[in-house]
Amino acid sequence: MKLGLIVNPIAGMGGSVGLKGTDGDAYRKALELGATPVSPVRIRQVLSLVKRRDINFLVAPGKMGEDYIRGTGFIYEVVGSIGEQTTADDTKKIAREMVDRGVDLLIFVGGDGTARDIADAVDLKIPVLAIPSGVKMFSSVFVVSPYAAARIMDSFTADMPLVEREVMDIDEEAFRQNKLAARLYSYLKVPGIEPLLQASKEASNTSKSEEAQKREIAEYIVENMEDGYVYLLGPGTTLKAIAGKIGVEKTLLGIDAVYNGKLVGKDLNEKGILELIDTYGRARIIVTPIGGNGFIFGRASKQFTPEVLRRVGKENTIVVGTKGKILKLKHLRVDTGDEEVDRMLSGPIKVVIGYNEELLMEVRA
Amino acid sequence: MIRLDLNENPYPPPRSVLEEAEKGLREVNRYCEQACLDELKRSIEEYTGIPWRSIKLSPGSDTILREIIHSFSIDRKVIMLNPSFLPTLECAKRHSRKMVKFHITPPEFILKREILQEEAREPSLVIIDNPNNPTGREFLDKDLVVDLLDNKNTLLVIDEAYYEFSGNTFSNLVNEYGNLAVTRTLDKAFSLAGLRVGYLLAGEKFMEGLSDFNVILPRPSVYAAIAALKNMQYVMENARRIRSERKRLIRELNKLGIEAYKSSTNFILVKSEFPGLGDKLRVKGIAVRDLSRDWIPGYYRISVGLPEENNILLETLKEILADESNN
Repeated sequence: MKLGLIVNPIAGMGGSVGLKGTDGDAYRKALELGATPVSPVRIRQVLSLVKRRDINFLVAPGKMGEDYIRGTGFIYEVVGSIGEQTTADDTKKIAREMVDRGVDLLIFVGGDGTARDIADAVDLKIPVLAIPSGVKMFSSVFVVSPYAAARIMDSFTADMPLVEREVMDIDEEAFRQNKLAARLYSYLKVPGIEPLLQASKEASNTSKSEEAQKREIAEYIVENMEDGYVYLLGPGTTLKAIAGKIGVEKTLLGIDAVYNGKLVGKDLNEKGILELIDTYGRARIIVTPIGGNGFIFGRASKQFTPEVLRRVGKENTIVVGTKGKILKLKHLRVDTGDEEVDRMLSGPIKVVIGYNEELLMEVRA
Repeated sequence: MIRLDLNENPYPPPRSVLEEAEKGLREVNRYCEQACLDELKRSIEEYTGIPWRSIKLSPGSDTILREIIHSFSIDRKVIMLNPSFLPTLECAKRHSRKMVKFHITPPEFILKREILQEEAREPSLVIIDNPNNPTGREFLDKDLVVDLLDNKNTLLVIDEAYYEFSGNTFSNLVNEYGNLAVTRTLDKAFSLAGLRVGYLLAGEKFMEGLSDFNVILPRPSVYAAIAALKNMQYVMENARRIRSERKRLIRELNKLGIEAYKSSTNFILVKSEFPGLGDKLRVKGIAVRDLSRDWIPGYYRISVGLPEENNILLETLKEILADESNN
């Protein structure tokens, strides 16, 4: 088993000193305030919990990896080179090299910023294991604890089921001003940890893979699509599955439009969306919430502006999502920046979670 | 293996019941006679106060729930809670015209009644397990039930599999409302899981729609069920013991830092962030129901076992948690 390891040594240092991240100048400030590194502690803990020994590690140099694996007894090889101060480019460069050298799983320790760098470098080419040590972790790629990370490393195989999870882009400068400006940045593939199967009278077939669930949702949505409506497909892999079922290509992060089974708009902005609504008269939006926080509007797809949402209406908004993502959410959320539109969208809404299967949830502003 | 994953009764049935089952076993080359099935219905009538003509027998209550879904969901949507008893959820999903589930989440577990009432305005088959499995909570009260039943478009089924532990029933409304049905089982409180005896108490709308073909239950099951219903004192004493153990178990689990929620059943919903707790217990010989796959990761349903089994569970959990903090 060939595993890559990249540690962002400074991720998480802003938290204890109240800095909300270490992007830009904040890192120096964090050091001045006496912040201590979080990532080294985290990765050492994970490595001490890993039981299997058939791992060949490819690690980043020095404090980006090598320092923590030395002396653990694991076989490792150092990849790339770094200077005194590590940068986002180091992460990307080393991650790319690890992909080229055929790692089966890339482990990284960091926060949202590190996840973005990794996503830039590896895209969906290989699965990653994201160990959280950052301050801002709005992305849903991270595992819950060092124990969970070790467990995945112990049980990882090439045919382990994988799920795609969101990487969020938070504007740290705005975040430090107490404004949360987030958008969907990209996706990473992570191992889907499935508990061992239990044989019992209650064994059910709800344990379908994420991909199978997406196909099921897509089938139901497409069967129920009506001619005469322009369908605006939001970002995400569930929507990609729907587009696939229709037979059109989908921009993963953008908004595409379909009318009577034909693609009529690609990677649309607000203007493009409004023009389509004018042209075709009736429109429906299909969106999926962001894993973990449940936002359907105002975070992942800003092109669905208050004006667009007003024109389409809540009754023409279809929310979809796999059970793995949806059942963990207490409720859905909106933050469109327009109070009236937020109010309009609030209250009960049905979420398609399978073929012929809808979950009644609450939308909160 | 200590089985705390299927909500079974840890106490075996009394001798008189076992003897009747054995008697039935000696005659298993013959189907159970109608007179005998009728006698069971009369015993259920005596127990529930519902006339025997409004009673249908079933091998376990899940089977009759399936028949209800098959018979009544062709032209109406099915409304259920999520989570709910899984086989029923699955069956409704596969066979109903449309399936709408109410999302209920911990720790508050709120069912917004006005949303349910609104949703049930169209012709619907509403199936609610009360108490609910796996949360152990009761979501229905008389006002809500009557309100749902006053809408003649609604067919309401209340699954009362755990009635003997909760003590609350809506079966007395069956005579008054033709659109109400209540399912029960002898699997749980009567200690007859292995014999699978369930029954339905149903208003006329249900009775008209269900096949009037009589289900023939296995002879040992019928004999044992009749005997079990004659010995209610034994059943109720066990239910009382289980309730008392439940209380103790919730208290002790919470002391261990494992969040255990209140329950009206013979099982407890618990939450633990400890990864793979279900697997760890299984390795140590204790089976609990891991709800990660079907509901939310980190939630488990644990049946209340015998006091000594519960002690082993608590000790094992202590060990597992101590191992974690030593690492």
